[in-house]
Amino acid sequence: MRAEPTRRLVLAGAGSLALAGCKGVTVLGPRPRPGAGVVTLEHAILAEELMIARYRQALAALPPSAGRQHASGKKSAKTKASARDRAVVTAVLAEHSEHLAQLKARLVLPPRLATASPRPSPTPPPAPAGRHRILDELAHAEAAASDRLIGWLPAVPPSLAQLMASIAASEAAHVVQLGFGRLAP
Amino acid sequence: MSPPSPGTRREIAALQAALAAEQAASYGYGIVGAHLTGTRFGAASADCVAHERARDSLTAMIAARGGQPHPAAAAYRMPIRVSTPAQARSVAIALERQVAAAYLGLVALSDPALRRLGADQMRAAAVRSARWGGRPQAFPGLPASSLSGPGQG
Repeated sequence: MRAEPTRRLVLAGAGSLALAGCKGVTVLGPRPRPGAGVVTLEHAILAEELMIARYRQALAALPPSAGRQHASGKKSAKTKASARDRAVVTAVLAEHSEHLAQLKARLVLPPRLATASPRPSPTPPPAPAGRHRILDELAHAEAAASDRLIGWLPAVPPSLAQLMASIAASEAAHVVQLGFGRLAP
Repeated sequence: MSPPSPGTRREIAALQAALAAEQAASYGYGIVGAHLTGTRFGAASADCVAHERARDSLTAMIAARGGQPHPAAAAYRMPIRVSTPAQARSVAIALERQVAAAYLGLVALSDPALRRLGADQMRAAAVRSARWGGRPQAFPGLPASSLSGPGQG
């Protein structure tokens, strides 16, 4: 099945300029109200930024992978688990960065709004202590983010709905990557 | 009976695409399961049932819109020859990826229920693919051509 042609969502300025007879543009109207699709896309971007902040925080909180080695030179099971956790979290973080880039590419703001004061970066709650709790919290955040994205689908145009559905699918698969529901090897 | 409207025709076409993928997956999981044992056989059986249910549901949805559900093929060519459990898992992953892509058309429709169905099934396929050990995908089901690259827009 083909993907719909990509369309950027432009926060249209129609109606923001009032024309006064034949004198041309004289008055700047009120700031245009963004459409439902634009608002939803902005929410999706914000949610993705928050997820990225969560993963960065998790990486900082996870135990380092270069742990002690046994006298035999073999790595301990704990060290291997730490290395695996960090690799998974790093890989998933990279995918979230890709999600964010694609979502941002769909949003075009007119210069008047794009140059407005930048939004502060979202701050996630502090990461819990312990690798199991850190991964568990990330998995819960992924599941919630996936549900939220699917709930937003009715408000957006077809090509953005396809992108958001794909991101929702990726986020649900992250739960498995984080070690929940994986089949035994 | 009057012919279906253009909107209904679009819905039927998207449902037919998803149906074709579910028919192929239902067939394919029979081969996958035949090469697995234990919990993996159980997982293949459960996934097979999920695809059969989706196939039956899509068939009913097409008929309810006045369409003629396309029949399944007698046999399907698997992406690789299956003779080991590892190859069976690879086929399961390939089937799930095809299924995720096949539901993309439903997500583009304006009917919120069909959009939701497409998204839910894309998500289920991505999760099953991950459970079979599939390499992570940032954009399951989406063709690369639909993504914005550096400098593209």
